[in-house]
Amino acid sequence: MNTTSGPDLADVTARLGHLLHAAGVPVTPERAGRLAAAMALAPPTTDAELYWLARISLVADRAHVEVFDRVFAQVFGGVVDPADFRGDQPPAAVGAPVAARPPEPGSPAPATSSPARRPSQLTDGGGDGEAIPPDEERLAAVISADERLRSKDFGAMTPEELARLRAMTGQMAVAPPPRRSRRRERAAQGSDLDVRATLRRARRTGGEPLVAVHRRRRTRTRRLVLLCDISGSMEPYARAYLQLLLSGVDGARAEAFVFATRLTRLTRALRGSLPSVALERAGRAAPDWSGGTRIGEALKAFNDTYGQRGLARGAVVVVLSDGWDCGPPEILGREMARLRRLASRIVWVNPRKAAPAYAPLVGGMAAALPYIDAFVSGHSLEAVDEVLAAISAG
Amino acid sequence: MTSIADRLPSPGALRDALAGVGYLADDGIATALFCAARLGQPLLLEGEAGVGKTEAAKALAAVLDTPLIRLQCYEGIDASEALYEWNFPRQLLAIRVAEAAGEALSNDDLFGREYLVSRPLLRAVDHPGPLPAVLLIDEIDRADDEFEAFLFELLAEGSVTIPELGTIHAIHVPVVVLTSNRTRDLHDALKRRCLYHWIDYPELERTTAIIRQRVPSANTSLVAQVAAAVRRLRTLDVQKPPGVAEAINWVQALEVLGCTVLDETAVSMTVGSVLKYREDLATVAERGLDWVADAS
Repeated sequence: MNTTSGPDLADVTARLGHLLHAAGVPVTPERAGRLAAAMALAPPTTDAELYWLARISLVADRAHVEVFDRVFAQVFGGVVDPADFRGDQPPAAVGAPVAARPPEPGSPAPATSSPARRPSQLTDGGGDGEAIPPDEERLAAVISADERLRSKDFGAMTPEELARLRAMTGQMAVAPPPRRSRRRERAAQGSDLDVRATLRRARRTGGEPLVAVHRRRRTRTRRLVLLCDISGSMEPYARAYLQLLLSGVDGARAEAFVFATRLTRLTRALRGSLPSVALERAGRAAPDWSGGTRIGEALKAFNDTYGQRGLARGAVVVVLSDGWDCGPPEILGREMARLRRLASRIVWVNPRKAAPAYAPLVGGMAAALPYIDAFVSGHSLEAVDEVLAAISAG
Repeated sequence: MTSIADRLPSPGALRDALAGVGYLADDGIATALFCAARLGQPLLLEGEAGVGKTEAAKALAAVLDTPLIRLQCYEGIDASEALYEWNFPRQLLAIRVAEAAGEALSNDDLFGREYLVSRPLLRAVDHPGPLPAVLLIDEIDRADDEFEAFLFELLAEGSVTIPELGTIHAIHVPVVVLTSNRTRDLHDALKRRCLYHWIDYPELERTTAIIRQRVPSANTSLVAQVAAAVRRLRTLDVQKPPGVAEAINWVQALEVLGCTVLDETAVSMTVGSVLKYREDLATVAERGLDWVADAS
């Protein structure tokens, strides 16, 4: 047993834990302690053994494995190639690229500045909320201005108006409909007889079941999935819809995704306390805020990676997109069919619907239409109420 | 009397022992099971369907020569199915008998261990030894949040609490293996208490070795062809990429049909044992069955 490597090993693993934490893999002292205990039990003699001990103790999520590999390679300087430890690497992958879940910004200190080449800024420079007017007349004027803002199309708003809107809106009431679950609860008016509880009660009365205890199936809310198009054509609306995504994730434990050329899961980035922090994280997480849209491929990526596994099963799925698909409409139609089989209800929000002459006759929108349960416009704050109503409808 | 430390001195030794009971593990899963067993920490295994998560727990129980206690999770599972239940009919009968005989029956009599029906979690805690049992909590992602919270006491303390009897501590804390198909995110509080391992699809050589072990009568070249074909299928855009279990089924199907070589006819007859979705079958047909059977 090599005793001289003892202190070096502790030092090295401490550095590994520190670097991992900085790279976004949450390493708690508990986990580091576990690694130490594991190394005491089976002192690693090769780098490969150390790799596995460290990965099993410190990493808690599939998404962190790539980051872990990178940091490990950095610490052990290319001596070990983490690619050796991955399973089967198939020769040539065929199929649409799927974005992995974004690495969670785990460390409390935020990154300094958002990348400059992003064309649209999510957190607008406009101050959050103008000063509250002291006078009655000014109050009345502001109220009527707010009323006008409610019915104004998002696409026509200036950044200041959008910021004002955000201050006005606050939390939106996102409420998916209930569904009956398999878990049962005690209920006096329930239809099922709870035999065990009745017999248990019977012990109080000398073994005679005098009181029948009933139960019923508990209701839970359905899961909600929000898929928001953030390509160039949707840009003014996407900024407003991000508020909806935030309300959904915070209030209704929804899953939020954005897509343009690829699909990105935003749920983790949005699940934060301050809206501005959450929106900034979202800006950093999704790498393609403008450009063309490939709705069909994005839906395919969603179905393959998340929907098939059960995220969309029995859920209310809301797609916020204008339907301008660069890809072939057959893909969109096929993926919508698949999604419809999994989901309980699909709501499609298309801001173009508000235009008087609009009719979904061509391309992607026409291919998707047969599978949509509720087709709403959602182009202004008033119209968003319609979206919320469509979500809540059973 | 052997202890766990004697049975499992190192991950390498565990890997050999697992191979001895028919589970071909790589370094990763061997280290994960080693840490779980020696450190007494629960292990969360995640991976695609069909890579051998449940088999790993079974193999560990075989190596340690202890019982495998299995709890299959589903939505709505609660304490009475997972932990314990009182044998009410027996209790009522005891009350009647005591009445008839004119004897008094105290509460302690009625709530003794003989009236307790042990479900898997309690059986795992109660296991007398000499080595801890392996508790497999299968598909924990199917259960709901309430059940996850219910497991915390067991995972953290190795004990369970029954209101009438008090807290029961395990003499030998069971080795807990949880599996998940990732249909939903597990609660962080649960993940925090567990070691974590993601099982990838095995590489070509290991797949071939696993198939050969499970289907010893199959001829070697057929097994090699099937392993390569499964690997090729995974590169296609299929909804459910075939795993090791599907590869084993495929070889068994080919054998039963008497095929000794994987050609286009053989593939067309047996492709249903590998791909279970109509869309996947269509995708493969489009790509060409001869491509699937092609020697690499």
